[in-house]
Amino acid sequence: MNLIYTSDQKELIDAADGFFAGEHTVEYMRHLLESDTDDTPPSLWDNFSELGLLGLLAPEEKNGLAQDFSVMAGIAEMAGNAALTEPLIEIAGISVPVLDEMGAADELNAVIAGDLKVLPVCGLSGMVSHADLADIFLIGEGGKARLIDKNDVTLTPLKSIDPLRKLYKISKPGDGLDMIDQRGTILNASFLCGLSKRMVALSVDYAKDREQFGKQIGSFQAIKHQLANVHTQIEFTRPIVQLAATQMGRCVHQAKVSSIDTAMLAAETAIQVHGGMGYTFEVSLHMFMKRVWALCGEWGDRSHHINILETMILADDAELGPGTTFNY
Amino acid sequence: MEAVFSDEQNQFRQEVRDWLNANVPSERLPSLDTQEGFDLHREWERKLHAGNWGMVTWPEEFGGRGCSLTDWLIFEEEYYRADAPLRVSQNGIFLLGPTIMEYGTDEQKERFLKPMAAGDEIWAQAWSEPGAGSDMAAIRSKAVRDGDAYVITGQKIWSSRAVFADWCFGLFRTDPESSRHHGLSKILVPLDSPGLTVRPIAQLDGDPGFAELFFDEVRVPVDNLLGPEHGGWGVAMATAGFERGLLLRSPARFQAAAARLVKLYKQNANRLSSGIKEQVLQAWGDTERFTAATYALVAQVDSGASISSEASANKIFWSEMDRAMHRTAMTIMGMHAELEEGEGAIENGRWLDGYMFSLAGPIYAGTNEIQRNILAERVLGLPRQ
Repeated sequence: MNLIYTSDQKELIDAADGFFAGEHTVEYMRHLLESDTDDTPPSLWDNFSELGLLGLLAPEEKNGLAQDFSVMAGIAEMAGNAALTEPLIEIAGISVPVLDEMGAADELNAVIAGDLKVLPVCGLSGMVSHADLADIFLIGEGGKARLIDKNDVTLTPLKSIDPLRKLYKISKPGDGLDMIDQRGTILNASFLCGLSKRMVALSVDYAKDREQFGKQIGSFQAIKHQLANVHTQIEFTRPIVQLAATQMGRCVHQAKVSSIDTAMLAAETAIQVHGGMGYTFEVSLHMFMKRVWALCGEWGDRSHHINILETMILADDAELGPGTTFNY
Repeated sequence: MEAVFSDEQNQFRQEVRDWLNANVPSERLPSLDTQEGFDLHREWERKLHAGNWGMVTWPEEFGGRGCSLTDWLIFEEEYYRADAPLRVSQNGIFLLGPTIMEYGTDEQKERFLKPMAAGDEIWAQAWSEPGAGSDMAAIRSKAVRDGDAYVITGQKIWSSRAVFADWCFGLFRTDPESSRHHGLSKILVPLDSPGLTVRPIAQLDGDPGFAELFFDEVRVPVDNLLGPEHGGWGVAMATAGFERGLLLRSPARFQAAAARLVKLYKQNANRLSSGIKEQVLQAWGDTERFTAATYALVAQVDSGASISSEASANKIFWSEMDRAMHRTAMTIMGMHAELEEGEGAIENGRWLDGYMFSLAGPIYAGTNEIQRNILAERVLGLPRQ
């Protein structure tokens, strides 16, 4: 029993964090938002491959780093902190281990090298972000993982409020598969934790900068206590997400529900702290907030996961109480 | 990151479980805030001590087992699973004991730790004063040096356990010229000292769970000074960290309550409105979150990190979770919620007692408003007022 990252694992997560913070900046996102087709900022995909992020979960003999899934969850949080716009987490965190489990060696190799994008599909919604970038889709169908070529599906563009993530409806979403959905749910929850953390940081910066009544607004308890609430919720969401990444099981659903509640609270608190500026397109907050709204419904929305929890917790043979949190 | 208990940990769990199965009283003891209940809880402490289960986290040399904090969480899980009695020695085990180990002289360790571990000396707190609650640095009770003694004059309040306990530990102003958090000292005082009057305060439930202490020139040997003279604030802060953080409330207590809540819900489900189900799931989920977070925090501490302001988030979370969980139980019980015992009372009023106690959680050990200030200023870096 040791619910912390080893120093090696932490180093990998910090390295990813450093890369996102340095390259996927607010300015980069703004550039993406404002660019027309000739002026698109460069994709970071080659860097992901060079940094070993794409092969993080693949076995060493397949050019991977053979890391635990919990490390990917840690990196997903950092990606959330940066509101990463490319589908790194989905491909490296879901497709790569599933391709390995499927024995799809050629595809795995190409994905790790950064030459192929296999995008996982959540069978629940049939909505896929970044689907325009995919070469192949990974779906669950009839209890099995299946690969479908992009030319064999129809993609219908959808209009999402999130301006930094192109969203499509896919004609063949499949009916889902645990090994895809569980990973998707956990990484989505981690990403939401990262977004929550960043919105608190943006709010703290703003509250230190903005003065009213001759004082920094961050010196008022009315502001402090709201941000302390969000901080507390984040600190008690991250560990259940990390536990879910480590052992799967029923805490996966709890992780998603808690990360949704935390992220929505973080977003609402952040806009309140920002005041009128938070309601503008000019201030960065909206890019993070809209991503929260988008991701809350992905990989099973709140009701989906609550309904599953209800079945598990209210069952007559449910094991509840002290000592039932861990699989042993 | 690893979420599996080792063979040794599983073996330890089994050992705890076996002992508790054989020794936990079959009936719940009366409240420890009554004389009868206090005496029975002291008996239970002696029994725990005899089995060497009293102070599992203490080093062996002081009468403990030297267990890691992870082992302590396992112990607590078994303890609450067995529905064992509340710990009347809690102030000693978790607050004063570790502080004496850190700041005490060898003589103090020898003098105080063993009787504390044995349940022979039960400790009360004496921190707050009528004018120093959340603003603890406003303490005015003074301890004036007179030869080899301190002479203490002043008043303390909200002193938990003081009505039936043997000793108290508190902060007193030893430097009369000082103000705020300077010039305070932590001093240990026998509650039967001449000049010390203990006036019980009835809690919400009517029992005298805490007291006011009036010190009228109470003489205490200077040997009872814990830590540096005039340096009591730092000593008290170390204790406050233990109290707010890990050691006061382990997850097991809340997990046991959440499991009881699910049962209560199922027994009443057919007459309840639909929203209550989600409140029950929220209660269970929050205890799981608290468990995961505590194991993570404990892993950090076991690996050598120290906790400081994290303790504030911890205290906010468990105290508000506990209150919400008990409020849900009150809602479920509906017209039966007010019944303390006898006909119609559910679980002999246990949820009602729990609800009242849960209302104190966000107030004691530093109000949650103070904890939020600490988080905002020391963790988030927002400016002080």
